[in-house]
Amino acid sequence: MDLFDGYGRPRVVVTGIGLVTPHGVGVEQAWSEVVAGRSAIRGITRFDPAGFPVRFGAQVPDLPAISDIPAEVAPLAADLKGRLSVLAVREALQMSGLPALGPRAGVCIGSEAARPSLADVAHRLASQLPPGADELARMRPDAPTRLMAALAGATGPRSTVSTACTSGSQAVGEGVLRLRRGEVDAMIVGGVDVLVDPIMVTGFSLLGALSTRNDDPAGASRPFDADRDGFVLGEGAGVLVLETLAAARARGASIVGEILGYGCSCNAYRITDSPPDGRGAAQSMSAALADAGIAPEAVDYINAHGTSTMMNDASETRGIHRALGSHGASVRVSSTKSMTGHLVAACGAVEAIYSVLACRDGVVPPTANLHRPDPECDLHHVPFDAVQTPVRHAMTNAFGFGGSNGTLVVAGRP
Amino acid sequence: MRAVAVTGLGVVCPIGLTPEAVVAAVQGGESALEPVAALQHLPDDRAGRVAKIPVRAWLKRRKDRKLMARASELALAAAGPALGSFPEDDRVDLGLFLGVGREPPDDGDSEASLAAAAHDRRLDPARLAGRGRDLYPPLLPLKTLPNMALAHISINLGILGENGAWAGASGAGQRAVVSGIRAIEEGRVDAALVGGADSLVDLGSARDRLRLGHDGAPGEAGAMLRLESLQAAQARGATVLALLTVDASGIALEPMRHLVGDVGAATVPLMLITAIAGGIAAPVHVDGSDPGDVSAAISVSPPPPC
Repeated sequence: MDLFDGYGRPRVVVTGIGLVTPHGVGVEQAWSEVVAGRSAIRGITRFDPAGFPVRFGAQVPDLPAISDIPAEVAPLAADLKGRLSVLAVREALQMSGLPALGPRAGVCIGSEAARPSLADVAHRLASQLPPGADELARMRPDAPTRLMAALAGATGPRSTVSTACTSGSQAVGEGVLRLRRGEVDAMIVGGVDVLVDPIMVTGFSLLGALSTRNDDPAGASRPFDADRDGFVLGEGAGVLVLETLAAARARGASIVGEILGYGCSCNAYRITDSPPDGRGAAQSMSAALADAGIAPEAVDYINAHGTSTMMNDASETRGIHRALGSHGASVRVSSTKSMTGHLVAACGAVEAIYSVLACRDGVVPPTANLHRPDPECDLHHVPFDAVQTPVRHAMTNAFGFGGSNGTLVVAGRP
Repeated sequence: MRAVAVTGLGVVCPIGLTPEAVVAAVQGGESALEPVAALQHLPDDRAGRVAKIPVRAWLKRRKDRKLMARASELALAAAGPALGSFPEDDRVDLGLFLGVGREPPDDGDSEASLAAAAHDRRLDPARLAGRGRDLYPPLLPLKTLPNMALAHISINLGILGENGAWAGASGAGQRAVVSGIRAIEEGRVDAALVGGADSLVDLGSARDRLRLGHDGAPGEAGAMLRLESLQAAQARGATVLALLTVDASGIALEPMRHLVGDVGAATVPLMLITAIAGGIAAPVHVDGSDPGDVSAAISVSPPPPC
């Protein structure tokens, strides 16, 4: 087994994964629901959505209680974002069996600033008091990074990537780069976000970005469908433990998959819009393919960003054709956001995990609700039902507000 | 591994709007900390605030300014001069690595909406959905996302290459500069714009700093450097101002908080720019790692002889 890739760099493998998504807690639970094509999008129950233009979302279900949080980071685990972080990183660490490596382990998490909870906002309005130190610490974008580092016993380099919907993808990419450089022996990477709250629903619905299909929440997220009308706010966390192949082999770790390539780009176009010709997306995908050292024809599956907005899906389609050439018409493409909604800062990591699992299991998950493919989205779709087929390499895209794009190329166990 | 050259500088901070002005102010010990009306009820009302951010010249569309938080304005106003006349054709592969602070404040834009949504000493979702929604600024999410500073630089300066935005305090700016150096050393890009931008001078941010026990006055700044592989810079005849490496060689430089306040994610890039513009005779290094973090320091060396 060659421990180095075609460029002479250490190969980077995945030895642990953890998921909390609107489908539930745990990798196998979330993955089985996605493969089955079942939507997790429901009416909002966290607050009374009556009167809001959008009354549904992709909420995580009730979570199990968490305990044994070190005192110094306990305040960071006290809100939903913190609990998602704890559950996801603990599952990933348990699967990997990674020992506490101290300074030889780093953490890079994609995260935005937390919004104050409705209760916190209400308290502040009533009391006219500013937020306390614990709340301020929770609201910082780097709160999940600090929390996960403490739980993993990782005292090496920590960083927090905040590039909106691309954050999780770029966090995985940063972990790969650090491992290839030999800065660390292991990286805990991923993303976490919580968006189903009244202020986010208000803000994004005013932007006209959300689906308003209130009479059919499960059918609301319909990437690449001609009748799509916007994305669905979601929440969740995805965490991966990355190690060099050499380090994983040396400690006898079980390997789930491999990260072969990472690429990213800017659109330099507009804050909310994607360029219609898909040039930024194509540049990101081409960079990831080049980094992986594989030809487009070696990609058997693309987990698309596929948000279900008119603009993104058409632009991504053009990008796929530009980057993959003639193979763009034949490679299977699906969007798991059709079932999970948009997990924003977490989606890049969560969908990287789905892509690794697609390679592991030889199954391409479907796009739900794809009744009438948009002619502007002329791809080899996988509507409704998963397809059992060998997946040598999978590509996963994440494109963010503001025009940051990230792409990962993954494979199954070496 | 390729050597990394600094070929452009851009800065907007309370003590100057050009690298030369900043160096002159530092050499003269001129502090820009002064009382700010918005902070008058705090124990210390001083802050390092930029009176007028010169961003207009760099905007492709002037109406986009309403989408910009102060941190985005500072970032773009520093990035424009740093990029200078870098060839347009080469911006496809130009990297962009930026340290940003926490989520930019909404400048009180949402207060009217939240006040309208309050009822009986609590926030009423039904009122938020009604009158509160009518008053909610529709573009607010786009103003307050942490990566918007990066987006505005990319859009207005036409930068298309590898990128990243790191959130945090001074360590975020350091991470951004290190990422740019590594990207050039490893050959992923030939050139990159790197730096940081942060604004902590609004009442909310200043009050939050006090609650978190951060000492010293708040400040704001944008500080950007253009980096190129030494070989590429020399090939196109660019003036090399200094060389950067990821290590801790030479004397450690100190932040300039007593002059500009706490400028958060712009701290390390501002120190680098001040050192380079002031003239480097021997190697120096900066290390702005956040508490509890482990970051690589950045060393600055004089440019090689022509």
